[in-house]
Amino acid sequence: MTHTSPALHVSVEQSQPMPLKGSFQCESGQLLALVGPSGAGKTSLMRILSGLMQPHHGKVIVGDEIWCDTDNHICLPPQRRHVGMVFQDYALMPHFDAIENVSLPLLHLPRAERTKQAKQWLDHVGLTHAEQHRKPADLSGGQQQRVAVARALAREPKLMLLDEPFSAVDQMNRQSLYRLLADLRRELAIPIILVTHDLNEARMLADQLVVIDNGHILQQGTPSAIYNAPRNARVADLVGIHNRFLGEWIGPSEQSGQGLLRWKGKGLPLNKQPILSVRDKGRLPEGQPVNWVIPSDGIALIKKNEIARENDFHAEVTESRHLGEINLLTLTIKEVPGAEFVLTLSGSFRKNLAVGTKLGIRLDLSLVHVMPIRADGKGKSKHRTEYPLKL
Amino acid sequence: MDWQALTLSLQLAFVTLLVLLPFGLWLGRWLAHTQVRYKAWIEGLVVLPLVLPPTVLGYYLLVSMGGSSPFGQWMQNTFGIQLTFNFSGLVIASVIFNIPFLVQPIQRAFEAIPRELGEAAAVSGLSKWQSFWRIEVLLAWPGILSGMVLTFVHTLGEFGVVLMVGGSIPGETKTIAISIYDRVQSFDLEGANQMAMMLLALSLTAVVASFFASARLAVRR
Repeated sequence: MTHTSPALHVSVEQSQPMPLKGSFQCESGQLLALVGPSGAGKTSLMRILSGLMQPHHGKVIVGDEIWCDTDNHICLPPQRRHVGMVFQDYALMPHFDAIENVSLPLLHLPRAERTKQAKQWLDHVGLTHAEQHRKPADLSGGQQQRVAVARALAREPKLMLLDEPFSAVDQMNRQSLYRLLADLRRELAIPIILVTHDLNEARMLADQLVVIDNGHILQQGTPSAIYNAPRNARVADLVGIHNRFLGEWIGPSEQSGQGLLRWKGKGLPLNKQPILSVRDKGRLPEGQPVNWVIPSDGIALIKKNEIARENDFHAEVTESRHLGEINLLTLTIKEVPGAEFVLTLSGSFRKNLAVGTKLGIRLDLSLVHVMPIRADGKGKSKHRTEYPLKL
Repeated sequence: MDWQALTLSLQLAFVTLLVLLPFGLWLGRWLAHTQVRYKAWIEGLVVLPLVLPPTVLGYYLLVSMGGSSPFGQWMQNTFGIQLTFNFSGLVIASVIFNIPFLVQPIQRAFEAIPRELGEAAAVSGLSKWQSFWRIEVLLAWPGILSGMVLTFVHTLGEFGVVLMVGGSIPGETKTIAISIYDRVQSFDLEGANQMAMMLLALSLTAVVASFFASARLAVRR
């Protein structure tokens, strides 16, 4: 095995029975989270990886093994793939106790050895000896999930797949399962793929995110790379970036490496539209309509009397939702009608920010990320107000 | 008490079950999973013996197995077996007549197994046969058992088709149900009563026992 090639390489292209298109890779020991709204094709991708479904056209390479290569008519059945899979509802055999369930991937061993190893795996995931002799119906959701993880591990997997493994587990158990997953990642030198629609979970656990929508793999990158530089407006929406605005690319500024961005507001005359000096990667033609985003790290609240620079704007609190230890704040910008910032705030001073409060907002323009709106509509904002993913 | 007729009925029930079970398992499982367009037709054919008058079914079987039919001639020439009015013809009729009683409970039982369980078995490395014996059959067992009991009991009590295809030859085709009819025809009500009681007790015991067993075997999910 060469060390330069990724441990997992996947590419698919098909239009039937459901459209799927794109590719991604994952290194050994990395946890990759597949995120996207329901029906985006996450589960289909998992089925292709595990061999339960054959893509119309595609490749799955794990280490130096080719599991699927439709060009060369190779597609190994699940039995020959060594995938450790944790199903969404665990798919434990109801007529077997925990030990028998974990013994299933060990059928090639003599019975005594099978049971011994199954017990070891169950010890490993923290199931007590009494619980090991119980059937799934007598175990809690969290315990069932541990059995499912142990069964996946007993397969001696070369690839681990977790399909929404936390969806049926309550918050308290979830925390301990996160720890279990973190432990697994440390000890397993294989790629781990996690399907989730919970973005916090994905950001917290994953080394890599793959954003998928409507069967298309839109972007792969580290969570921070995707949050700071989403490829297009759809990715920004899917990963829950609220602060996305319309603009027009004017062109390079006199400063090298900088470009000028016109911030478009609703019904704002051209001469009133603010011009922002942002990073220029030299990729955009002049006059290109764009979406631009700014991460919350690049937004500072300031007092009204501190507004002085060209990257300072007048803001007013139009909504403040109290969500336990944080407040979700909506601000409108006086200079740009229609532009809205959404911020989460914690700390005591958030109490002073009632609806109607007037203040200033200072943008760190070096963090602004600009995305072209393509004529084919791919990068186009659909003006979605709802966020399909859980925030 | 016509012990010969009872023995013949029990024999017929066992042989029918033995012949039909592998086919019933295959067809029931296939129907549970298949999505072919003509599935409704197959299901309709499976249920047909349940809704058709036994005499109609018996008539068609008689015609298609008789010595002048191509199938009957072929059996006669190849194996030297005459299908009408003998035990092997009775078995064929009984197998066909019992298809719905075995296939339907089996189909329902396989349908009730979540698809993910089979997938989890495959991902765990189990071959199709391993998955069938260790997972599917064990989970579908209450349904399979009740289908088997229904088939058995139903064969014991079968009358119309047996009379049409087999006639009433003692030791060959005269089953207990036909024997009861004969006794009533010859005003031997006491003899008829004995056998009727026997059949009633046997059937009730078998069905109740199968319900008990199913309830015990059913796996909590």
